[in-house]
Formats: sequence, structure tokens, C-alpha cells
Amino acid sequence: MSSSREKILAAARANKPDEKPLPTVPDFGGDDSTERFTQVLTSIGGQVVWIDGPEQLQPVLKQLYPESRLSASPLFSGTVPVDALTSTEVLADVDLAVLPGEIGVAENGCIWLPEANMLHRALPTITQHLVLVLDHRRIVATMHQAYAQLPSTGGYGAFIAGPSKTADIEQSLVIGAHGARSLVVLLY
Amino acid sequence: MNHATRAAKFVGDADRTTWHDETLWFVRAKRDKAVYAVPEFQDLRELASQIKDHTLSKLDTYLEQFEEQAKRNGVHVHWAADAAEHNAIILDIIRKHNATRVVKSKSMLTEECHLNPHLLSNGIEVVDTDLGERIIQLRDEAPSHLVLPAIHLKKEDVGETFFQHLGTAKGEIDPQVLTEAARQHLRARFLAAEVAISGVNFAVAETGGVVVCTNEGNADLGVNLAHVHIAAMGIEKLIPRLSDLAVFTRLLARSATGQPVTTYTSHYTKPAAGKEMHIVIVDNGRTKQLGRPDFRASLKCIRCGACMNTCPVYRRSGGHSYDFTVPGPIGAILSPNIDMKKHSSLPFASTLCGSCSDVCPVKIDIHTQLYKWRQVLGEANEIPASKKWSMKLMGRLLTSPKVFGVSGKLARQGIKYLPYSLTHARHFNVWAVARELPTPPKQSFREWYQQQAKNPA
Repeated sequence: MSSSREKILAAARANKPDEKPLPTVPDFGGDDSTERFTQVLTSIGGQVVWIDGPEQLQPVLKQLYPESRLSASPLFSGTVPVDALTSTEVLADVDLAVLPGEIGVAENGCIWLPEANMLHRALPTITQHLVLVLDHRRIVATMHQAYAQLPSTGGYGAFIAGPSKTADIEQSLVIGAHGARSLVVLLY
Repeated sequence: MNHATRAAKFVGDADRTTWHDETLWFVRAKRDKAVYAVPEFQDLRELASQIKDHTLSKLDTYLEQFEEQAKRNGVHVHWAADAAEHNAIILDIIRKHNATRVVKSKSMLTEECHLNPHLLSNGIEVVDTDLGERIIQLRDEAPSHLVLPAIHLKKEDVGETFFQHLGTAKGEIDPQVLTEAARQHLRARFLAAEVAISGVNFAVAETGGVVVCTNEGNADLGVNLAHVHIAAMGIEKLIPRLSDLAVFTRLLARSATGQPVTTYTSHYTKPAAGKEMHIVIVDNGRTKQLGRPDFRASLKCIRCGACMNTCPVYRRSGGHSYDFTVPGPIGAILSPNIDMKKHSSLPFASTLCGSCSDVCPVKIDIHTQLYKWRQVLGEANEIPASKKWSMKLMGRLLTSPKVFGVSGKLARQGIKYLPYSLTHARHFNVWAVARELPTPPKQSFREWYQQQAKNPA
């Protein structure tokens, strides 16, 4: 193996302090209400819309995104078929991606989106607009509870909280930096 | 050039200094609001501190565990003892793929290692994709803050830069318009990139995966479009368990910008089918710092920047006055480990007010370490003779009541009768360069006290 590896490990071994205990992290409880989730997500630029069930998706989307031409989703047959092998050029034209979220977190408005739900890893960020569909019973209070529910993080997965944003120019908040320009969560 | 000299340049523009000061204080205030909304925030700080202490105390074991897991996930793991090796490894990976177009999301480590100039000089086009980083890359400047790299610039500066490089209209200064121009400009780079480089916020020993936190989504867009992902991490980024991420993700964004969480908290564990993922584990002085009992706690840093937002010196002197990759209080305790001579003035760029330690999400005793570095620098003869001798003299004076009394009397008379040109001589009394001396009191407290004792009311 590389000598740098041995050098670094040996130095870490020689210079580390006496062993200190690893603490147990408690579950702090907290507010897991849909109201809290909605309030926080709205405050960070997201939007929550209630629907009766996944089957009601299409009419709501038509209403929300009358302009969008190219959509991709595993929940209905969108206008662009996307899978893990879809080319960058095709992905770049997607206006709207509608993906099922797994877990919502009330304290910060984020939603866990595993690779299996994305069609393509780049889809959630390359699409102009993102919709995440979430069962309201999957909302937990804090990140502790969210990680406790994750079986694993798979190959890739992300907690997504609101639309892409930046404040790098004079601290002025601008929504729509490089990723999705808007995020709507459809709760049922 | 020392910190004070560079800071003098910054404060030369009074309006800009005031703006900088107030803007960062505004971020500090947002942090407070977010922190007070979490009842267990202080418990989380303590837990984070303990988790990091524990990890450092078993760093070798966790590094090995992380490597083993990452390899099992199909990730290529590399080890770099220093910046040069880090740069060489990354260039090598890029060359193996015959790639020339590289996008990079935010990574202070690659800044520390000066990766960009190395790649550019070898014919690789490397584009920083975080908006703030792209702005300063176009201006050929260094970041002035950990999470707000272009905070030293006004929108007029950015407007001019974009006019020159991205073809926006002359005089366009609307942040919305400028950001949209950057979005279009960078999208083309994202789509064309063959290799994507990212930093690492957290590396999980248990899973072998790395976590990257951004608001813009630039890491995800770059990594997930390119064929090759290279993640560069310092050895101190490790945490033991996946569940520990809950503690750190609850602390990071709240401490940094007052957001409840960053927009994207992305977990990269395995390469996508048919693609490649590399992790470069870097030492570059970190194991040396681990061996300094007084200073090893600085390795717990999660790079939130809270200490700079709160620091009265940083806010009024700007990040570039530190002339180190990581500015502010945390930079002032990290930098002497790298080069004691070059950065000898940084531990003195502090009032020792302790505000940095108060806001640190992992409870690093920053102001204590600043004080301790001053002792180390004094011992090593790395402080200016004038400071050294005046401190020695002051020490004598303050430990002898008699000498103290006499000097006080002399000073009171001196201020009264000596000419202004002498009491404010620039070389003799640096303190008075931008200050006026007080009107001397008629008597000292001690004299007054003795008088009172003689004539009780």
C-alpha cells in the first residue's frame, strides 16, 4: 500500500489523545406535526399543497405548472422517459420532475430522497422545477428520528429542503441558483 | 506584512468596513434566532464536541474502518500526506480519463492545497461552481470567509466582474439578474464536465460514505452529471456513525447562516453504475496538530464560520487580512500550526473576548487557544521586539505596587505636560495612532482611597 497511508495512520496513532467515550445521542422528541413542517418549508421558499392521494396527481400538476412541457416521473408516464442511462442532453431539457419522497422532517422542512426514487441521480437538481410527493404520516420531528428510520443511505441520497438558493451576492437571497428553481411538496 | 498592516488597508474604506461589519453581525443575529428555536441546542453542542473528541482519540481506527467500508462500496481511496501529493493524485486521476473539463464545488481543502493553479498550469480547465467561489475565481482572488467566500464584495463589484467575463449589461447590479447569468454560464460547464471535484463536510466511518452540504445544489449537479467524482477530505472530517449526522446537520446550518438546514444534504456512498468515485484522504499538517495537546481541539472544526461572523476583529478587518485559507478566529489557531513564522501575527488579531468560543457548535476553546498560541510564539521569539519588550516592562510594572504607583503618577503628569507630538509619536505609541489619550485625572484611585480611609465620612 501507499507509504503515505502508513505514515498518516502511524502519526494519528502516535499523536492521538487517550481514548474518550462516544456518547449516546438521545431522541429529543419534538413537534412532528404537518403544520410545523409546512410552516418551516414555507419559510425556506418551498410550498406545500395537500392532495387526496397519489391518483389525484395529474390534475393538480396541470394546475400548478400549466407551462411545463417536459416532465419526468416514476409516478405517471411523463413526457420524457428517464432512467439511470439517460443522456445529459435529454436531462437538461426537463422542466418538471415529480418524485416520491420518503421521510419529511418537521424541524427543518427537508425530505429524504433516495437514489431509487430519482430515476437518474442528476434529475432532482437538473430539472427546472421539482415536486416531491409525500405521505404526511412519514413526517418526523427531527433529524435524529429521520436517520433512525433510514435503513441505509444506499449508493446516493439527499435530504432536500426547499428550492436551490444562494445569497452570495451581498447576502441578497436569490431562489434558483443551480438546482431546481422551485420546490412543491404534495402531501397526502 | 502582518495582520494589522493588511487590516489597515481594509479599514481605509470606512463605508465598506461598516457594511461588512453590519452584514456579518446580521448573519450572527440570524444564527441566534435559529439557535434559540431549538431547546436542546446546548445539548447538541456538547454531544457534537464529545463525538469529535472521541473520533480524534481513535482517529487511526476510524480512518481504517472508513477506508475498508469505502472500498467495499466500490470507491477508490487515496492517501495524501501533504498538499503536493493531494494535487498530484487528483491530476493523475483526471489524466487517466484524458479529461480536461472539471467542475468543482466548494472545498476549503482544495483551496488550502492550491489545487486550482496546479490543475490550470497542467492544462486542465477547472471551474468553481459555487456562485461566491466562481465570482472570486473570475476576479483571481481568495475566499474571504468559510461559507460566504465573496462577502468582501459589493454587488457593484460583482456586476463589473460579470460584465467583463459573462457579458452581462454594463452597470447591471441586480443580484437576481446576476445570479441568473451565473446559472446559465455555469449550466453549460456542468453539462460539459468530465470530472467533478467536491469537498466533504462529513465522512461516516460506519458506511464509508461522504456527506456534502450546499444550498445551491452545485455539488449534486456536478457530481451526478460527470463520469468521475473526486471527493477531497481532511482526516478530521470523520464521524463514527450514520446517526451522528443528525447531531451535526442540526448544528451546521443554524450556526453558519441561521438556516434550519442546508438545502441539499447529500450522501455519496457508491458510484453510480458505470461511473467512478474517488476519495482523497489528506493529512497536510493535521496529525501534527493532533499531537499538540493544547491545540488539537481545533481539529473538531466543522467549518461553519460562526466564529468569524461574531468576531469584532474579523468583522472589521475582513477575511483577506488573515492571509490564510481559513480566516477569522479559527484560522488564527489553525495557521500557526502550518507556518508559525508566516502567521505569527494572527493569534494577536483578537480581543480575547471569547465570543468565538461561545458560538462554536463543537465547543472549541478558540479564545483560550489564541492566548496559548501567543505564549508559544513568545517562547519561539516570533513576536516583534517592541511588543516583547513592552510586555516585559508592563509585566514588571504591574507586579510591583510601588513601581505601579510611581509610574501612574509620572504618566498623569506626562500626559498633561508633554507635547502632543511626543505622546502621539507614531513609532513610540502605536496605540495612539487612531486614538486620543484621556484627560488625566487629578489623583489615582489609590490616592483617593487612602484619602477616604483617613477621613471616614
